Amino acid sequence: MSNLAVLPILIPLIAAITLVFFNGNVTVSRVLTRLFSLVSLGAALYIAWHAMENGTIILETGDWAAPYGIILVVDRLAALLIVTTNLVAAACAFYAPHAGLGKKEYYYFYPFFFFLITGVSGAFITGDIFNLFVFFEVLLMASYALIVLGGDKVQLRESIKYLLINLFSSMLFVTCIAFLYAVVGTLNMAHIAERVQEVDQQGILTTVGILFFFVFATKAALFPLYYWLPHSYIQPNPVISALFGALLTKVGIYSILRVFSLIFVHRLDITHELFIWIAILSMIFGVIGALSTNNIKLIIAYNIIPAIGFIIMGIGVFNQDALSGSVYYLVHDMIIKAALFLIVGAIAYVAGTSDLRKMGGLIHYYPALGWLLFIAAFVLAGIPPFSGFIGKLQLLQGAFGDGEIILAITALITSLLILYSIMKIFIRGFWGEKDETAGFGTKSVKGMIAPIAFLLALSVLLGVGAEFFYPIVASVAQSLLDPQIYIDSVLKE
Amino acid sequence: MIFAVLVPLLIACFIPLLSKMKHRIHTGIFVFFVPLAIFLYFVRYIGENFTPVRETVNWIPSMGINFDFYLDGLSLLFVLLISGIGALVVLYSIYYLDKQERLGQFYVYLLMFMTAMLGVVLSDNVFVLYTFWELTSISSFLLIGYWHFKERSRYGALKSMMITIFGGLSMLGGFVLLTVVTGTTSIQGMIDQTDTILNSSYLPLILILVLLGAFTKSAQFPFHIWLPDAMEAPTPVSAYLHSATMVKAGIFLVARFSPIFSTYEWFFIIVSLVGILTLCWASYMAVRQTDLKAILAFSTISQLGMIMAMLGFGTQAAVFAAVFHILSHATFKGSLFMIAGIIDHETGTRDIRKLGGLMTLMPISATLALFGTFSMAGVPLPFLNGFYSKELFFGSTLGLDGNILSQAIPYLAVLGSIFTFVYSMYFFFGVFTGPKKLDQLPKKPHEAPIGMHLSPIILVLGVIVIGIWPNLLNGSFLYHAASAVNPATTYYEVSFWHGFTYPPLLMSLAVVAVGTALYLTRRKWETVYGVLPGRLSLNKAYDGLMKRFDTYSDSLTNYYMTGSLKNYMAIILGATFLVTAGVMLYTGGFTISFDNLAEVTIIEVAIILAMIIAAVATIFINHNLAAVLVAGIVGYGVAMLFVIYRAPDLALTQFVVETITVALFLLCFYHLPKLRKRKESARSKWKNASIAISFGAMMTLIGISTHSSRWFDSISEYFLETSYKLGGGDNVVNVILVDMRGLDTLFEIAVLGIAALAIFSLIKWKKNKGEAD
Repeated sequence: MSNLAVLPILIPLIAAITLVFFNGNVTVSRVLTRLFSLVSLGAALYIAWHAMENGTIILETGDWAAPYGIILVVDRLAALLIVTTNLVAAACAFYAPHAGLGKKEYYYFYPFFFFLITGVSGAFITGDIFNLFVFFEVLLMASYALIVLGGDKVQLRESIKYLLINLFSSMLFVTCIAFLYAVVGTLNMAHIAERVQEVDQQGILTTVGILFFFVFATKAALFPLYYWLPHSYIQPNPVISALFGALLTKVGIYSILRVFSLIFVHRLDITHELFIWIAILSMIFGVIGALSTNNIKLIIAYNIIPAIGFIIMGIGVFNQDALSGSVYYLVHDMIIKAALFLIVGAIAYVAGTSDLRKMGGLIHYYPALGWLLFIAAFVLAGIPPFSGFIGKLQLLQGAFGDGEIILAITALITSLLILYSIMKIFIRGFWGEKDETAGFGTKSVKGMIAPIAFLLALSVLLGVGAEFFYPIVASVAQSLLDPQIYIDSVLKE
Repeated sequence: MIFAVLVPLLIACFIPLLSKMKHRIHTGIFVFFVPLAIFLYFVRYIGENFTPVRETVNWIPSMGINFDFYLDGLSLLFVLLISGIGALVVLYSIYYLDKQERLGQFYVYLLMFMTAMLGVVLSDNVFVLYTFWELTSISSFLLIGYWHFKERSRYGALKSMMITIFGGLSMLGGFVLLTVVTGTTSIQGMIDQTDTILNSSYLPLILILVLLGAFTKSAQFPFHIWLPDAMEAPTPVSAYLHSATMVKAGIFLVARFSPIFSTYEWFFIIVSLVGILTLCWASYMAVRQTDLKAILAFSTISQLGMIMAMLGFGTQAAVFAAVFHILSHATFKGSLFMIAGIIDHETGTRDIRKLGGLMTLMPISATLALFGTFSMAGVPLPFLNGFYSKELFFGSTLGLDGNILSQAIPYLAVLGSIFTFVYSMYFFFGVFTGPKKLDQLPKKPHEAPIGMHLSPIILVLGVIVIGIWPNLLNGSFLYHAASAVNPATTYYEVSFWHGFTYPPLLMSLAVVAVGTALYLTRRKWETVYGVLPGRLSLNKAYDGLMKRFDTYSDSLTNYYMTGSLKNYMAIILGATFLVTAGVMLYTGGFTISFDNLAEVTIIEVAIILAMIIAAVATIFINHNLAAVLVAGIVGYGVAMLFVIYRAPDLALTQFVVETITVALFLLCFYHLPKLRKRKESARSKWKNASIAISFGAMMTLIGISTHSSRWFDSISEYFLETSYKLGGGDNVVNVILVDMRGLDTLFEIAVLGIAALAIFSLIKWKKNKGEAD
């Protein structure tokens, strides 16, 4: 038992509440935001270090013993994701004042920002399925607030779709919890896992599991449930898009990873086989979407879908290599997606348009931005020595090792097309003649470059320094394959 | 060794500084010493008693990815080519590239490439090899796009990247399979487990994937189409990357993996066939080109095909011939590229139709080109290394055992060589003899500065020295390279004269005779290109494919991304229904049990009936107020049920929520548009109805099943027991809300707070029209 576990949700919550009171004063808000994001990051790092050294951190909230009360569980997986979330949040916090939010900064932008982080962190560390739903609500409500912030017509039109589809999936989520509770009579995930194991996931349980999968898959934007995502994610300001792209869908895929490595693991032939096909289709349709458009923001938004496909691929294959690949890819994708959204946000800002056809020769004015995009393209496509490669390599080893040839080859082709979709932006947007008449080069990217470079540096570090990270990820994968570890840490304290 | 590989990359970090003073000292002068030093470092390994050297630096040992550098004869050959030609190319570039150019970037890319290429040929670890392999593609991409203001450069850069990275990724797939099969990431380790690999069921897939990497990189048919477009790069780059080194990476790869695959029949078939086809097709196509660099590009493709074919034969003689030719090709082709660059530089054009008669104006270039082209053509003269290559090649095509392919190979080899002869002559005589067309040239031609000639002179000297002493490097150098590819190789002696009846000589003579005839009559048969390839253009196929990526992806995506919420919901519900119901059927999940059911009273039936009727009715009501009120019946019905089931708190809450919602709706109506009767086709109505009904039915069945599968005691018993004891409250619901599950409540309150804040900010925004207050 350690109160440490509550910090990842407590600090952003306090930050959010504090910032409500400083809403009128943007200067103070900005300073406080940076300060809080760094404090939160520091706490996350300390907690992660603690969890790595001393094992899973458990907090029985209100001192109600497991499995009766709500338990917060910071295991290595949660710790990794908390740290990544806070890294992304910090980069966004530093980028935000330069992102052209304009007057929106006066409309509770920063409180919503921290509420979102609260929800995301909470979802990662809770050990209770109903509490997971509550944190989903927190992050969704914050996201609704952010997506409509300062809304014009188009933004509101796309927001309403986002809102209604998520509302529906929340309803389905709660229904699923009720179904599950009816069968196993408990809400603590470790306890559920124990009981599902006891009856060997027989009868209706697999069906309920699949229904849970669809709930999370809607949030994670998997095939064929991602329609709401691309157009709604590009409406708000780039910082918000970055937060959404990096964190929201990842909460969905994390939930799948958790639930289908802990609870529903006794009918792999049905559940995980399904994931493999969904992975293939998500990769193909997602990347086709990314190729279909000349809107640079939309290109990045569509690229969320194949990335999620990669992660679900590892969950589907479900062996040591594949799972560590999924976890590696998850962390990698949170960072690079944030970076890419921030990059295209900056491009659209300086070019005055997101339409690739109206750009060209930007490298003459913004070389740093151009090269950051160039590197980001290779990071995203999983070209070594960057972070994407390490994850992809493990996924491929896992898939080939299990004889999933079609899956592995789809993943390889998808990588190529992902690279193409981003390089298109570089070639058409940055290369080309210096066009004096287009009026590029008048706006400054000062303040935007550093956060982007920070995120990309992390990606490079995750790749080049894989020797440091890989053992951690491998141990996460190992514990995912053995749910008893999680169950014991929660129930046998 | 690892330091030698990384030196170029390290120096590249300083180039931006050095390029600042490019107007005083050409940046290339600094860069020149890098490959030179590497060359001198490695050249000392040449010797009769060479043994492979190994060096390891850990990178990611827990994944088996380390900088395992392994220098054997094959690597040494490539390392010396990379550094040697590299030094000459940099020297040449000093004169070729104007100081106005972005020299800093140019040399950074070039040095990056050097590290990458050295890494490819020295890595024993497949994943490190792959890393460097992609880095060569990336630096090649940047160099082709160096003059990116030109549309053709951008096109060529993208094309080369798409094709070579496609190959790289498939090679990666092959490598992963190899590590899965053998459990090692070391190439030498894999060679030790040749039998395991040959017995693996993945063998065909491994072979195809690895060969795709090699064929795309080495521009083999039909992937060769990127190389001619890569000629948009500055000429030093073409000479270096796209002729001497990078395009030979595929050759290297095949050679490296030869010890594993050579006994596998399909290796012979695929590699020989692709190689020989490439040789014939590209040499045939070269004759048609009008751009000097395009001729050389197709020539390079065909020569690479020839080397590839020899590696496919895999015999001792063939492997030795391949190794010998790698060296020969680097010398004559390197010099010819530089000559083409000089001509371009001095006349302002590379169009052979505008050139002619330059012999007297550019005598040095002409002499150098003479040696280069005649060596390339394989003219039987005792001072041209190209002739020995050609003869060794012909020799290796004879006496391959077995199938029909082996018998056809010698004829195809001669055919390809005939066209090689034709384009070589075409290149030399077209540029240097014939009438002068000075009026068509953008610049008045004159001989280039001697500095520019330095590099091609050194290369041509190489052509001649090897031509005169063909065995000069065999024992100390080429033998080691060949034996790394085919361990059975014994020492090989090359000589000029074998007697009149020596078949390869006859083949060479036939090539010269037919080639001369074809060259002289080429105007007459040029029309054949209208038939073959005619309209069958691989370039068009590529362009079409890329265009289709755009248009098809666009139309496909627009097809389902309709922007209509109703469609999205239909797909989400439909997909969820199909899969979930399928799983329920498949696992036999449906159960129903009538145990432990409470008695149903008439009141309950009445309430539920009312709710059902109200729910259904909402669909058919087209009036705002009525719809809300009717929907309210459902909510109040639920509240009533709570009353009946003795949950007064919930009932109270539900009543309050329901009342407030209805009231809010009524308030909002003032601003909302009137509901209109939606016009929908009957078909779409039926579709929606069936989706809705199936989904609802499925949820009902799952609900019944879960209710019938209560296998465990609920934790709520514990709450009842401890509510007062531990929570200090008689009302269990209250204790749950504020204590036992207080965290939930706290964050539900947060949710409401966020919602309130969001609404407040929206209203404020609207009121202030987005102004700060």
